Amino acid sequence: MVKNDNGQLYTIEGFAAALIMVMTAYLVVNATSVYTAGDTHINDMQLEALGSDALKMMDVAPNRTDAETPLQGIIRTDNYAGFTTMLLNYTNESGSGPRHDIQFNASYTCRDSNNLTHRIQFANSRELTGGEHTVRATKWVIVNKPVCLMVGQDRAVLLEVLLWRD
Amino acid sequence: MARLNDDAQWIILMGFLISFSFFFLALVINQSTVVGQTTAESVIEFPKNDIRDVRDVIGNVVMRVPYPQNVTVYKDITVLSMNRKGSVVEYSNFIAANATYIQIHYNNGVTEYNENWTVL
Repeated sequence: MVKNDNGQLYTIEGFAAALIMVMTAYLVVNATSVYTAGDTHINDMQLEALGSDALKMMDVAPNRTDAETPLQGIIRTDNYAGFTTMLLNYTNESGSGPRHDIQFNASYTCRDSNNLTHRIQFANSRELTGGEHTVRATKWVIVNKPVCLMVGQDRAVLLEVLLWRD
Repeated sequence: MARLNDDAQWIILMGFLISFSFFFLALVINQSTVVGQTTAESVIEFPKNDIRDVRDVIGNVVMRVPYPQNVTVYKDITVLSMNRKGSVVEYSNFIAANATYIQIHYNNGVTEYNENWTVL
């Protein structure tokens, strides 16, 4: 048996070439399924935090002698325009620069005497079409108002705001 | 190994090493975006704002609303929490020795939060 090892280097070269091709294919296939920022839910998280913070700020009275917070007054008097202005001021504006393209749809829920809940459409900056990718920010509000057909007294209602970007 | 030209063996070996290192770098870069995703998802899932908000409203109710109406607001909070947020919220309060004691229980099936709150 004559031992012929002339092809050893060619074999190694073949291995190397195969590895390079496999890695190239791996990188190319991966590049088509790369995670974009939208897949990672990072901007969902930021939008939800922004909405919660805005609602929290709206439920803080400017002066400690104030009888009610701006948000309580808005819900008590059904001041839809005031809510829209204030919420978009806190979320959508950035000085005099461009807007953040944030849209919202707000409603609040109350309980009636049979412990059933009723959702009352409140204010929105744009109609929901169902295709939006929304996040929800909520805020408990104590309001003195005859909600859900019960007599006027201090009640807790849950304000829910759906937020999305155009 | 007569007549075989093996001058480039080291070059080929280095080529191996470099291509392997590229491979592992690609793996590491792949993972980095997934790390941001899981972080964001766990932040969204953890009901930090819900708990803060429910503490806030319970504190307000107990300190401001007198007792008979307190029951109405209590039902509002428990019923609406269950129906709209899928979370069990319970609280009770009493006054003893000039301090107001509030017990708050929150459970949304994943996260549970209990608090004994003393307001002097």
